[in-house]
Amino acid sequence: MNTTAKDTKSLDNPGTPLITGNQSFHSVTEKISGIVEAKVSPYWYLAITISSLLALVFFGSIGYLVWEGIGIWGVNVPVGWGFAIINFVFWVGIGHAGTLISAILFLMRQRWRTSINRFAEAMTLFAITCALIFPGIHVGRIWAAYWMFPVPNQMGMWPNFRSPLLWDVFAVSTYFTASLLFWYTGLIPDFATLRDRAKTKWKRLIMGILALGWRGGNRQWKHYELAYLILAGISTPLVLSVHSVVSTDFAVSLVPGWHTTIFPPYFVAGAIFSGFAMVMTLGILARKIFGLEDFITVNHLDKMSKIMLVTGMMVGYAYMMEFFIAWYSGNEYELFTFLNRAFGPYAWAYWTMITCNVLVPQLFWFKKVRNSIGALFVISILINIGMWFERFVIVVTSLSRDFLPANWDYYSPTFWDIATFVGSFGLFLTLFLLFVRFVPIISMAEVKGVLPQADPHHTAKEQAKG
Amino acid sequence: MKKKQGKDYWRSLEQIADTPQFREFLHREFPEHAWELDNSISRRNFISIMSASLALAGLTGCRRPVDKIVPYVAPPEELVPGQPFHYATSMPFGVGGYGLVVETHEGRPTKIEGNRLHPSTRGASSAITQASLLGLYDPDRSHKPLYRGVEKEWAEFVAFWHDLYPRYLQKKGEGLAIIAESTSSPTFFRLYEEFRKNFPEADFVVYEAVSDEKIYKGIKLATGQTLQPLYHFDRAKVILSLDADFLLTESGNIAATRKFAQSRRIQSENDSMNRLYVVEGVFSLTGAMADHRLRLPSSQVVHFAIALAGELQTLGLSLNISDLPDSIAADIDKKWLNVLARDLLASAPNSLLIAGRRQPPEVHALVAAINHAIGATGITVDYARPDGLIYPDSDAFASLSRKIESGSVTSVIILGGNPVYNSCADIDVKTVLGKVEHSVHLSPYIDETSQLTEWHLPQSHFLESWGDVRSLDGTLGIIQPMIEPLYDSHSSLEMMSLLVTGRDRRGYDIVRYYWQDILKGTDYEKEWRKILHDGLKESSAYPLMIPQIDHYALTESLKNLPQQEGAITAENLEIVFTVSPSLFDGRFANNGWLQELPDSMTKLCWDNAALLSFNTADALRVRNGDMVQINFRGHRLELPVWVMPGQADNTVSVSLGYGREKAGHVGTGVGFNSYRIRHSSSPDFGIGAIIQKTGGTYLLATTQDHQSMEGRPVVREASLEEYRREPDFAEKMVEHPPLVSIYTEHKYDEGYQWGMTIDLNICTGCNACTIACQSENNIPIVGKEQVHRGREMHWIRNDRYFIGDTDNPEVVHQPVACQHCENAPCEQVCPVAATSHDREGLNVMTYNRCIGTRYCSNNCPYKVRRFNFFNYTGKMAETLKMAQNPDVTVRSRGVMEKCTFCVQRISRARITAKKENRTIRDGEVITACQQGCPADAIVFGNINDPESRVSQIKKQNRNYALLAELNTQPRNTYLAKVRNPHPELENYKPLGS
Repeated sequence: MNTTAKDTKSLDNPGTPLITGNQSFHSVTEKISGIVEAKVSPYWYLAITISSLLALVFFGSIGYLVWEGIGIWGVNVPVGWGFAIINFVFWVGIGHAGTLISAILFLMRQRWRTSINRFAEAMTLFAITCALIFPGIHVGRIWAAYWMFPVPNQMGMWPNFRSPLLWDVFAVSTYFTASLLFWYTGLIPDFATLRDRAKTKWKRLIMGILALGWRGGNRQWKHYELAYLILAGISTPLVLSVHSVVSTDFAVSLVPGWHTTIFPPYFVAGAIFSGFAMVMTLGILARKIFGLEDFITVNHLDKMSKIMLVTGMMVGYAYMMEFFIAWYSGNEYELFTFLNRAFGPYAWAYWTMITCNVLVPQLFWFKKVRNSIGALFVISILINIGMWFERFVIVVTSLSRDFLPANWDYYSPTFWDIATFVGSFGLFLTLFLLFVRFVPIISMAEVKGVLPQADPHHTAKEQAKG
Repeated sequence: MKKKQGKDYWRSLEQIADTPQFREFLHREFPEHAWELDNSISRRNFISIMSASLALAGLTGCRRPVDKIVPYVAPPEELVPGQPFHYATSMPFGVGGYGLVVETHEGRPTKIEGNRLHPSTRGASSAITQASLLGLYDPDRSHKPLYRGVEKEWAEFVAFWHDLYPRYLQKKGEGLAIIAESTSSPTFFRLYEEFRKNFPEADFVVYEAVSDEKIYKGIKLATGQTLQPLYHFDRAKVILSLDADFLLTESGNIAATRKFAQSRRIQSENDSMNRLYVVEGVFSLTGAMADHRLRLPSSQVVHFAIALAGELQTLGLSLNISDLPDSIAADIDKKWLNVLARDLLASAPNSLLIAGRRQPPEVHALVAAINHAIGATGITVDYARPDGLIYPDSDAFASLSRKIESGSVTSVIILGGNPVYNSCADIDVKTVLGKVEHSVHLSPYIDETSQLTEWHLPQSHFLESWGDVRSLDGTLGIIQPMIEPLYDSHSSLEMMSLLVTGRDRRGYDIVRYYWQDILKGTDYEKEWRKILHDGLKESSAYPLMIPQIDHYALTESLKNLPQQEGAITAENLEIVFTVSPSLFDGRFANNGWLQELPDSMTKLCWDNAALLSFNTADALRVRNGDMVQINFRGHRLELPVWVMPGQADNTVSVSLGYGREKAGHVGTGVGFNSYRIRHSSSPDFGIGAIIQKTGGTYLLATTQDHQSMEGRPVVREASLEEYRREPDFAEKMVEHPPLVSIYTEHKYDEGYQWGMTIDLNICTGCNACTIACQSENNIPIVGKEQVHRGREMHWIRNDRYFIGDTDNPEVVHQPVACQHCENAPCEQVCPVAATSHDREGLNVMTYNRCIGTRYCSNNCPYKVRRFNFFNYTGKMAETLKMAQNPDVTVRSRGVMEKCTFCVQRISRARITAKKENRTIRDGEVITACQQGCPADAIVFGNINDPESRVSQIKKQNRNYALLAELNTQPRNTYLAKVRNPHPELENYKPLGS
């Protein structure tokens, strides 16, 4: 990475340094390793207590679900899918930002990504972990869910390769695997740093194993960077494919409101939108709690805001386009579904979605907003609420009123739906808290690569002259 | 997809009446607690009502032990394990009965079907007859005689009676009273005659909460004789129903539907069909089938009948009724009346008037007179002189209760029935029972009455006892048991025999003994065997006769019509007590199938409600689910409101049969007991009810939340004239691009290709198919709370839509089961291929492959798939397990299920055909719904055979596939509905509507 550096400053925003505070290699190591090595703060204990209790609610709800059946949820006929699928799509969406930041921005030489890619990738993994649980538990016979995998069996049965649910299984598990490898590969030099700084035998041993014998030699760096580049190349199409495939769960069906060709790009845009919002939320918390203002600067947040502004408008465009096509197609079922979304019994969900996803991000046009940490924090949370409701609107409103009016019914979640949803945040946060405790949350090796010291030159001005 | 509809379909009930109240109502249409956090599912609650009392599962030890595993040492002749036997029997009901055939598996009756030979069913059935099977296995049935709550042996009761018997014999029965149910059993009648001989001083009273008493009285008024009217709807071209729901809740409904469908069925635009006029206050199933329906409070129907008589006389019909009283009902639409009168005369004698059992005798008398005058008697209506019937008599019942209260009765014996529950509010049977020394109650359940009597004796179910019954036309049918009594129970014949003769005889011996008389002069054994085989005695119907009309008596009675109690207003409502199509008078309250069966008109299940019209609800400021108090003649009842379009304004109707205090685990506490406000002065309807809002609300579970078709071509309908103008109107209602597939689809052109048609023109929406299917396919019930959540399990459901204005809408019914799409959307999306197509075109479910993603249900445009959200069948009582069809898998939790086109019946036919080295004949496979359908609206068969009945029907121009534009290629198609309005009344809105 340092070998490719051309400029000590951000290329796309000259004049604004990527890392502030006049950091040296040593100070970066100290700062970031320090978070992992320092004495554990009581706040962390408090946080993990709360989050693991929530996680317990999650697993408790799942236990009750396995015991009693899907009936504890609010799903019915016609609304066969409820919170579980909404949450699945929501978490998969969240999981988009990490790999996008790591892989696509890496390939595009967006060097500002280095400050946020590590925890964004971690967030991706944890979000996908949460996401993967839902399709597993939402089936009626959880103990037979593995039949969705093409496992050779005595029944001589393959899964049905025409079913989008099966595509999901492949898409999401591939994405998870690729993201995990990518994340781990990026971690190797940092694990080596931690190993070298370890003061206890056990820590040295564990970090030593995790560092896979990293010595930081030239040849190692050469191979490492090539591997990283290849992994980035592999991950890039996955970022686009995974949510496209998830969208086919809906697009391939014939339910009005689901059966639309716009879904793949619309879902990908929405996923990036929500993923960045979640990175923003977590990033703001991390920089505040661990004093990382020098690493995750306002400049970073500003850039993320711009991406959210763009993807938010893409999503808004998709909303409008759906309406237009519903009218233009002349299909009465399609048109009814969209009018019903906006003015039917679930209008409250629809307008929540529009407000949070289309109207609120318009504030990002203002630099003042983009540079206000408080505003960004609130907006990022609103966007995530909006994106959850987007999935709610898609899943529930379409099913609740489809072709034959006699079948129409209202869906309302039960206590267990909500407990499972809230509990999944518990799992997510618990994993994230463990991550910030044991793994460097910022990629030391890569941040060092964007420091001025990594690219010893005269000043840019002089260079330009020369 | 441009639509072309002749009718003005509602966007929805509320939108059409776009007032703020209705808008609010619109919100209420969706259950109020969108984000209700808890869920009252409380498993415990739900289990307690599930599958007819799971709680009793532990009590099964009380059942007589059955050794099942041991194979037969000497198997019965012809028995092949796994092959069912079919036996003919009859189900007694009121003064009639239904001829049935029962399928038994290894000695367990599992399915009830109509007896093709029997005129009361002709192979069809009804929801109630089908569901009576569940009553046999009800674990809540009483198991042992009880003496003051303590279990005793039957022998102890016999001893008890042997003690009393000589004393009453000596006193010629003085102080002894029997309260029986009405019956048409000849054997019972002989016993009754002996009883009269032995105990001339005793009281023998017959009480029925719901009966045809007024019909018999009315006919007696007109003819001087007690006669049974027999209607031939098949011969009628114009039918007028005066508050008669003859297609569902009146007596003889199965035969009536069958015959009505015959003259309604059309094959092409050149055929003619009957025309049905209905005048009624409560929207009935018959009203839904009407070509013209006049909304009129039930108490005004008599005025309508008089006005009609007057109109007919004006048109030249000689009724010989001098001085017809002036009709006081001013708001009877003159044009409607005139057209009707002319229509009746024009098609006379093939016209028919029929009045409902709620109507007073004068209406029935007048109807008989008009039928007579237009020459219909002998053509569309016959009269038979019944022989040996035990008729209900509510006056005698009331005077008996007074007599008991005076203390001159020492023993009361109640044979069946439940008078403590279902007597009118002003007759306090509870106190009356306390006045006697001895009281005995024979009843299948320990119910409200049994609780108060000294002795309770378990009554046998008709499927486990011997007996006989005459159907309405007099055909003698036999009741033969399918199984040994499950409990220590006895039939009312056995009980009556004991009471009369003092001898404890078996039902078989009693019936055999009295049938020696009936079969006198024949080879008894041979004839008896034939009767057992056929289920009936050939040509044993009553002789028909044409009675003379006593015009004088009729004129007199019409002059002396009681004065109306004030004008009907929102403050002085008319209250109508309706019979529940499911629970009847409450006797089926513990039958889970019937409790969960949505009412054909309201789509409510597990409850009854006060039905009000839109305008009345508006005037009273009440909405669906609001609790109100009805105050009628000093009696009060609180119950929720349900707004029913088409109900007459300023009337409230409540269904009888609900609110049982002691029915069993299923029925106790379900709904509201309207007997509490039923007054013997006006047991069917009366004016003077006051409704007050109490402020509370109540959750009513409905299986259909939305009432309008939203302008979609779901049920396609035209008038006969429109149909003649445009014979393929049904197909033309939807325009769609050519239906092509990008794949090469399987051809399905070899072997059997199963398909079905449902004729919406003759389907009445009676729900017989739903229960037949439930019985055949082991479909569980799920309870009110689950129905409210939208989880009912019926494989074939009956969609009901309103059309037209909210005051006087038309109603259409559409049974929807799996459409067996050739291009099935469900199959493609299942990740584990648990639902797939077989080569005969069936969309099949592999239950043990299903993992329950519910994706198939989401993708089914008809939403006919049903999911086991809980283990609905897991804790089934032992006895209920015996009711299951062994040919059909019982589904467990977490799997999807749906209509299979009765694949087990197809398999059975295939095996038989294979053994006989032939192909399956047309009509050999009859699905359960088809078999149950009294209208014969459902036809099933091989569509690959151009000669099969189903192929022929699919060629008709009314044939259309539901949602064909989705290219699902359904195997199930519908025949569009045709109404036959009188040209002068088409689109005419009569006064008062």
